[in-house]
Amino acid sequence: MNPSLLAAASIGTGLMMLIAAIAALTVKKLISAIIIVGFVSLSSSVLFLLMNAPDVAITEASIGAAASTVIFLWGRGRIGGEE
Amino acid sequence: MTAEVIFYWSLSVTALGLIIIGIWGVLSRKNILRIALAFTLADTGVNLLLVWSGFAPGRSAPIVDSSVTSMVDPLPQALVLTSIVIGVAVAALFVVVGVLAARKSGSSDVRRMKELRW
Amino acid sequence: MIRSIVGLIIVLTLSAVVISVIPDLSVPVDLPRTGQYYTEHGVEDTGSVNLVTSVVVAYRGLDTLGEVVVLFSASTAVVLILTLIPVGSDPTPPSSIVALTARVLPAAVVLFGAYVITHGHLSPGGGFPGGAIVASAFLLVMLGSSSVPGSSKFLASIESLAGVTFGLLGFWGMMVFGQFLNNLVIPQGSPGKIVSAGIIPLVSLAIGAKVASELSSVFASYRNKGGEA
Repeated sequence: MNPSLLAAASIGTGLMMLIAAIAALTVKKLISAIIIVGFVSLSSSVLFLLMNAPDVAITEASIGAAASTVIFLWGRGRIGGEE
Repeated sequence: MTAEVIFYWSLSVTALGLIIIGIWGVLSRKNILRIALAFTLADTGVNLLLVWSGFAPGRSAPIVDSSVTSMVDPLPQALVLTSIVIGVAVAALFVVVGVLAARKSGSSDVRRMKELRW
Repeated sequence: MIRSIVGLIIVLTLSAVVISVIPDLSVPVDLPRTGQYYTEHGVEDTGSVNLVTSVVVAYRGLDTLGEVVVLFSASTAVVLILTLIPVGSDPTPPSSIVALTARVLPAAVVLFGAYVITHGHLSPGGGFPGGAIVASAFLLVMLGSSSVPGSSKFLASIESLAGVTFGLLGFWGMMVFGQFLNNLVIPQGSPGKIVSAGIIPLVSLAIGAKVASELSSVFASYRNKGGEA
């Protein structure tokens, strides 16, 4: 892939991840924060692919984005979301 | 500043930004589950930084094929595989202990969990 | 007020330290020496085409054993805490879409997970993501019904058997060659075939079964309401 396309993809994804990370810690509802952290995990899987690491991308997508989100959702279901 | 240099350094800026945002979140949030989420964000940033340290643009993925000449360093990727699994184990324990502390002290605010203070 | 100022100072100091680690503004060309060795001699030493799997299982197999121990202790601690202090409640009955999907989809997901586990030395994957994919199929079945499928004793016995298998494979290497987790107790074969790479497919199977059963028992313990373990 030509370098300018890679540069645009990495800058776009990186900016989206940073804005989403700040948003995940400042939104009011806890369920939105959990889903946004799952989205940041999945975008980091895309960045791993851009860095030519397919093994790490599959592992992050299946463990970091799926199992971790279920763990947080259970925790939120037990103590309730904040206002 | 060619496009390759911008591509290479934008990856590290993303990882460092995630680490700093995660540390800020751990220090400043009050809900126990949000502190766990900020910790997971910082962990993701650290994993990105580790894989970036073994990356050189122009090389291909570390799977040997007949058409592959130069490959990315496979050692940081192996370490990050371990790190991702340990990150989810830490998150699971963090959430379980946080839920128990919240049920014991009656609210999910860390300022109310008085028995943890020394 | 003081707390937020101190927090801000800590974050700024840490970010200055983190940013000062970056060297000059250039793109690297050569790999470090260890990485160079792995890329040149990985296939002829271990027989596995996927170099990351060969590093994880063969070159650094002891680190993977440590990781398996960490995952085992974390999942056992979570299940133990949730057994002694059950915080579950009655699960809501699933809607018809979820119930139908939970009857159709898990077979394909388990098949894909088994593919990822067994082809760890040929294409990206390995024991850890494959085990997580099989555990997500278990989660889907659990979400589609109001009870927990399978018994926890079955999951615990699979987890123990897989862990013991990993240890026994290591000791086999010690008996034959005098080195724990030696890769060549089984002949290497030709790289690129599924029956190749020495002991790596067996170790991937053990790791995959262990991770799948551990994550499944953690998910099953989330519905624990007290009573039985």
